[in-house]
Amino acid sequence: MPEKIKVIVNEDRCYLCGGCAGVCPTLAIEVHSSGWEFLQDKCISCRICISACPVGALSAEPLEVSE
Amino acid sequence: MKEMKYDVVVVGAGIAGPIVARNVAKSGYSVLLIDKKPAIGTPKQCAEGISIKVFEKYDIPYDKRFINREIYGAKLYSPSGYELELRYKEASGVILERKVFDKMLAYYAAKAGADVLARTEALDVIRKDGRIAGIKAKHEDETVEIHADVIVAADGVESTIARKAGINTYAPPHEFDSSYEYEMLIEGYDPDLIHLWFGNEVAPRGYVWVFPKDEDRANVGIGINSDNPQTAKYYLDKWLKENNIPAKKILEVNVGVVPVGGFVKELVKDNILVVGDAARQVNPMHGGGMAEAMEAGTIASKWIVKALEEEDLALLRNYTTEWWETDGERLQKVLKVRKVTEKLSDEDLDLFIQILSGADAEKIAGGDYGEVIKALLKHPKVILSPRRIKLLRELL
Repeated sequence: MPEKIKVIVNEDRCYLCGGCAGVCPTLAIEVHSSGWEFLQDKCISCRICISACPVGALSAEPLEVSE
Repeated sequence: MKEMKYDVVVVGAGIAGPIVARNVAKSGYSVLLIDKKPAIGTPKQCAEGISIKVFEKYDIPYDKRFINREIYGAKLYSPSGYELELRYKEASGVILERKVFDKMLAYYAAKAGADVLARTEALDVIRKDGRIAGIKAKHEDETVEIHADVIVAADGVESTIARKAGINTYAPPHEFDSSYEYEMLIEGYDPDLIHLWFGNEVAPRGYVWVFPKDEDRANVGIGINSDNPQTAKYYLDKWLKENNIPAKKILEVNVGVVPVGGFVKELVKDNILVVGDAARQVNPMHGGGMAEAMEAGTIASKWIVKALEEEDLALLRNYTTEWWETDGERLQKVLKVRKVTEKLSDEDLDLFIQILSGADAEKIAGGDYGEVIKALLKHPKVILSPRRIKLLRELL
């Protein structure tokens, strides 16, 4: 079971190219003309988006689980 | 909320979308072409090279406004610096200005009768009585319902609309390349040729390219496997540094991922069609997809017009069949070659580029790969290596 993560974007690095959304198996990322959006409830913590980003704009932080 | 009704709505004004919109509108049907960008074609995600043959084949004007430069061939560089030059007497390709080209393709669609709306983002599909009846979109701050008999998902590698419509366009990360490119001032390279550098340290699974747009200006980019632990930017900056190329006159930075590992199987679901990058219709060898998008768009538009003429949307499925029997079959063979070349070591690349003579280069330029592979198979250093013989035989 992979660690549950939250994907975050470094907006200064991101070009809104849509690559992360394209490789995401669950449509957990949407790239709008106005900005980048992460949909936590759809994310399966596979980290594919993070490795595919051509500029390293994405990273992960552990998801805080409520007790 | 605003409502609209068209025969066909096309999502995405890259290459495939405007070709479909233009062709369908020419036949007299109402078409709306939308794109989420405020300026169609901007930013581009492309090295901008294309064969000169496409202009006549797809009825696109050879307009100097979007052609930066005519190209006469290519130069290939092996990891240790061996070179292979392929040069034609006539121009074989051009380096486009995509920002102008894409917008002009949308202009041709508009001139043919299509409506075109930039800054209009498709959000979701509209379902009615168990079928998809259109799309929900946003134009600036206004929500728009666009009802249409046929929906074309030409929405690029994200393929959001295709996926929301239930077409399976997903591929694992290994089947994508990450790419990064500078448009920059660069000197010392013949501006009549495109230049390609290969090597597992230079660009894992891919290559570095210099595509000249001017005597001293070029697209300088890289594509690498997208599941690589390092970024494409890391490898390109490393290559520039190692080759003492100053990166301080940068006019643009372009990034994106390229689907290079296979093609969407079912290109049609009910009244939805997927074309271009969204259908992963890209040449897996070099990662170029413009000509492939034009071809798919042409086939798709032919069947859309037939389906509308005969009022039988089941005819749309012929797009899947025809594409797979023609361009799909060709690209499957290219994919097979790509998978073999992935196994080449730097020593293999050095040897193959080193031993290909001028005569063999002519054959490569003419597309006669079989003869080239047969020539390689006769070389002593190949004969003495069972692994190389096996790899080359896989290509025949």
